[in-house]
Amino acid sequence: MRGIKQNESFEGGLARFISSDGGRALSSFLMVIIIGCIFNADGAFFKLATQRDALRSLSVYGILAVGQTLVIISGGIDLVQGSMIGFSAVLFSILTIHMQFNSLLSIVIVILAGAVIGAFTGFLIAKCKMQPFIVTLALENAVRGLARAITNNQKVSTNIISSDGTVKSVELPAIFKLIDRKILGGNMTVVTVIFVAIIIITWLILSKHKWGREIYAMGGNLEAARLSGVPIIRSKALVYIFSAALSAIAGICTAAQTTQGDPAAGNMYETMAICMSVIGGTSMVGGRGGMGLTFLGVLTIGYLQKVLSMNAVPEAYRLIITGLIIVVAVLAQGFKFKKKRANTSIK
Amino acid sequence: MKKIAVLFLAATLGMSLLTGCAISGSTSKSPDSSKSPESTNSAEEKNGKNIVIGMCNANLAEPWNVQMDADVASAASKYSNVEVQYKDAAGDSLTQRSQVEEFINAQVDVLIISPVESTPMTDIVTQAYNAGIPVFLVGRLIDNSSYTEYVGTDDFSLGYAAGQWIVDNYGGTAPNVVELEGLMTSTCGYDRHLGFMKAIEGTDVNVIYSSDCKWLEDIGRSEMESVLSVHNDIDVVFGGNDPTAHGAYIAAEAAGCADKIAFFGIDGLLAEGQAYVKDGVFAMTICDATGGDIAVNNAMKFLAGEKVDKVVLKDAIIYEKDTIANGGTVVSIPDDVDRSGQETPIINADGSVQ
Repeated sequence: MRGIKQNESFEGGLARFISSDGGRALSSFLMVIIIGCIFNADGAFFKLATQRDALRSLSVYGILAVGQTLVIISGGIDLVQGSMIGFSAVLFSILTIHMQFNSLLSIVIVILAGAVIGAFTGFLIAKCKMQPFIVTLALENAVRGLARAITNNQKVSTNIISSDGTVKSVELPAIFKLIDRKILGGNMTVVTVIFVAIIIITWLILSKHKWGREIYAMGGNLEAARLSGVPIIRSKALVYIFSAALSAIAGICTAAQTTQGDPAAGNMYETMAICMSVIGGTSMVGGRGGMGLTFLGVLTIGYLQKVLSMNAVPEAYRLIITGLIIVVAVLAQGFKFKKKRANTSIK
Repeated sequence: MKKIAVLFLAATLGMSLLTGCAISGSTSKSPDSSKSPESTNSAEEKNGKNIVIGMCNANLAEPWNVQMDADVASAASKYSNVEVQYKDAAGDSLTQRSQVEEFINAQVDVLIISPVESTPMTDIVTQAYNAGIPVFLVGRLIDNSSYTEYVGTDDFSLGYAAGQWIVDNYGGTAPNVVELEGLMTSTCGYDRHLGFMKAIEGTDVNVIYSSDCKWLEDIGRSEMESVLSVHNDIDVVFGGNDPTAHGAYIAAEAAGCADKIAFFGIDGLLAEGQAYVKDGVFAMTICDATGGDIAVNNAMKFLAGEKVDKVVLKDAIIYEKDTIANGGTVVSIPDDVDRSGQETPIINADGSVQ
């Protein structure tokens, strides 16, 4: 939202809007929508159910992208996200399916467990001043290992293998169906609502709360932020705690959508989240980006996947097309940067 | 790369510990330099208790491989004098290479290995075989014949059985089939797809949609949602593995049309495919037994001086709701099926490898 805001102070027309961060992100998204309208698979693209399904499958990635955007704006990166999905999905499934814990309590425990891991990440990065890339890379492996260790590499589902080798089936806890439910006359899934709620709350934090301004300040210039009194260690650690807690929520949603906890779930999801964030206009060097932009980035990639899958595009071409569209979208941001510089020199 | 780097570090650390144990263990054994794959009766030579089987698994992140270890364990537990040492290569050839080296140094009595890849493992497995250790390959061949027995998965026949089942049950009604493939860059994903296509060739079965779901349940679900937005006349969904087909089932259930479609997949694991069949979610599952138990039993036969086959190819077993309790139906596919294009080596009727 920050980019759009900047632009609002300008007395600009359409051309200016298109060259703004928001305009760029929006035109990437519109490009995908136009592709969808052209290759609409016999009108399937225009169905409400298609929109619902597209929004459902992008929601988990979207939740990650929200956390990732915050981390990237603060000048870091969070590679633990994918593993956190696996860990929280199995923890949630163990608590609810195997131990039959209260659902609400289980959700709280899983989010807290995520936050604890995030606190550890944040401690290493903010307090011990380690490189975010290395720390999160290492913890990505550790957390994935943890997910496998607590499940003995097995999926946690309602079909439980007992010690004598027989399978016992138990009832799927109601919370799974609740999260995976369709609402609003079957036109929206609960997962999407969770995603949208998270993005709105985070947008409010980022634009209205002191911590939000501190995140931008740290990413823009860490030293300047320190000198102007930003509590660097606390603010930075909080960013990783926040991202990890969101990853835990995404993990719970993943478990609900697959009716089980898979220790291998979420593998490499963080790369998708980074892509969504960057395609929206978040700068990898930090200090620039926003929730509105990330939302457009999430929609762009999510809808692109939907259009490709609806048209039964073979995997090889999906990879090529996805790659090219990301390059084009990011390239557009590079052009903007140059142009801006040129403008300042004229002024 | 990043994962491999850290795993390597962990593996090296773990291995340095394991090697220490293995070496101290091997000193207590009587040195037996004359041992060759053909020499037998090591059971008696190991003064009473232990026959040590070294079990090198490819990747314990895969449920199928976990099941393989479980099958090895359950078969081994039937012999009072067998001890199995398990190692997991976590999908890395170099890790597996050093694990085999450790087993060679420890002079295990039998090596059971599920190679991560064929070519990179050929040299080290040959070394083990030449060092006199009987080698039982499970699931994947190496590039030469330096092994005692190969217990193989025939992915082509698993896919063929899938196609055959559709033809048998839906042939003549021009069924619309959705094929949610396994990872097509893997040999097993590709061969399953190929066998399936060969089985339905020239029949009235229409594949109306196919896509690479990379073995993943969440992709199976989102792909199926796309299919359902375009087609409303689907009869059968065939998943390259059970999780993919189950993901598709969840999508169809949410769309309220799951009961009009027959779902099935390949793997037939106890808590996945078999449970889905029992629950009525799947019409059937095609079981790809791991063969870990076959390897152990045949290794024991071999040590006792019996002759074992060079190649054992497991049959595909179809579990349907009414047959699952009786061990399912074994599917045998005709010998004269055209297997051209198959990625795994073709095994001739006499057991030789093409």
